[in-house]
Amino acid sequence: MPAELGALLLADGRLPTGGHAHSGGLEPALAAGAGPDDVPRYLEARLRTVGLVEATAAVLTLRRCRTAGADVDEVQVALRARMPSAPARTASELLGRGLARLARRLWPEHPAVAALDSLGAPPLRPVALGVVGAAVGMSDAQVARASLYDDAQTVAAAALKLLPVDPTDATRWLLDAGPTLEEIVARALTCTGPDTMPATTAPLVEQYSLDHASRSRRIFVA
Amino acid sequence: MPEHPTRPFRLGVAGPVGTGKSTVLATLCRELSAELSMAVVTNDIYTDEDARLLRAAEVLPVERIKAVETGACPHTAIRDDITANLLAVEDLESTFAPLELVVVESGGDNLTATFSPGLVDAQIFCLDVAGGGDVARKGGPGIERADLLLINKTDLAPYVEVDVDRMVSDAVAVRDGFPVLALSRNDPASIVRLSDWVRQVVAGYRAGRHVAHDPGPMAPHTHAHP
Ligand SMILES: Nc1nc2c(ncn2[C@@H]2O[C@H](COP(=O)(O)OP(=O)(O)OP(=O)(O)O)[C@@H](O)[C@H]2O)c(=O)[nH]1
Ligand SMILES: [Mg+2]
Repeated sequence: MPAELGALLLADGRLPTGGHAHSGGLEPALAAGAGPDDVPRYLEARLRTVGLVEATAAVLTLRRCRTAGADVDEVQVALRARMPSAPARTASELLGRGLARLARRLWPEHPAVAALDSLGAPPLRPVALGVVGAAVGMSDAQVARASLYDDAQTVAAAALKLLPVDPTDATRWLLDAGPTLEEIVARALTCTGPDTMPATTAPLVEQYSLDHASRSRRIFVA
Repeated sequence: MPEHPTRPFRLGVAGPVGTGKSTVLATLCRELSAELSMAVVTNDIYTDEDARLLRAAEVLPVERIKAVETGACPHTAIRDDITANLLAVEDLESTFAPLELVVVESGGDNLTATFSPGLVDAQIFCLDVAGGGDVARKGGPGIERADLLLINKTDLAPYVEVDVDRMVSDAVAVRDGFPVLALSRNDPASIVRLSDWVRQVVAGYRAGRHVAHDPGPMAPHTHAHP
């Protein structure tokens, strides 16, 4: 499959992987007091922290999938160690399982897809993304960008449901985040292995995710 | 002719908000869980109210009841992107294997929401008399082509000035042979009819006789060739 088409598929919210039930932590951030004007900074903060870590994990997974018998589990373990919030891991696993489910149906013969079964736990979203990237022949930069764009678009799309926001303004947020996003893509590509994976965290986002998990009234999974 | 199935029968229950879907699930669990190994998935819009209602009803062990969040898009979660529901159903199927019947309740939605054939083998569409006697006549994919249409809460008919017989015959008129059932949780005979219908489709499925059909979002139509 042409890599360009794969990249478009992965960036499309209509791809059936369960993403529409996620807000990238925006719902609990708003519950904690953030408002419409804070969303661009929230996007930027995610890109520079969890966004960087996840994009790096996706790229490392992709690279390992290109060599037969490579160990994706090591990337998954390194990424899990960088996700201290259990609800955030669970949410990422749900998205990862959604992608993996799709990949098993679409590319059952691809070795990287088959290797998903040997993981000890459900794949986290970035790991599944790297595997799908390998299955459709995407480049490192395409996969890093897809990871970051998906995260930012998840937040922006959820904002339309949660806040009094004009959809055009939400689109502008994404465009304005473009330079940061490209900067993070470049940084994700410089990482050489799980042992040097960045570990930038966003403690407030983690705290919000814990608060969210114990709420009984919520619209989004996380 | 479909092959003999290797996984449990999956039944969807859809319909507008508050028409009694969760109560139907509770009824089915109460009536059938002694003879069929069951699990249920609820799709809540804003809370886990439905799952809690079912857990509180003590009609099924709590671990067999799973709630799925739909990001305020209940129709998407049962039709365009069924991933979250499939993961929940598959988790239940592997944890409690061998299951025989999995029931998925859609979040209350509008008249056009129907389940994808990728998620369920058959679906019930649930209306109630309190929504007005003319709803059945208005039609829509679920009303016209769900495997079973329920006209629920018939005990309320006198209070909302609805003629149940009329509502049922309106429904029969738009359903082209698909069954219609008047139901009330206070009417034991109607509950037997509902349970028997489910028994019969499950048996048909197991025997490899069940033919799934899609009520679709659109009416089936043909183009006459000039
Ligand atoms: N009188 C009467 N009330 C009923 C009957 N079935 C359900 N109800 C009541 O109708 C209300 C809604 O029932 P639910 O089963 O929660 O309806 P639902 O379709 O699951 O609702 P949502 O999931 O919110 O869309 C509750 O107050 C039930 O007690 C019935 O047969 N008769
Ligand atoms: Mg309900």
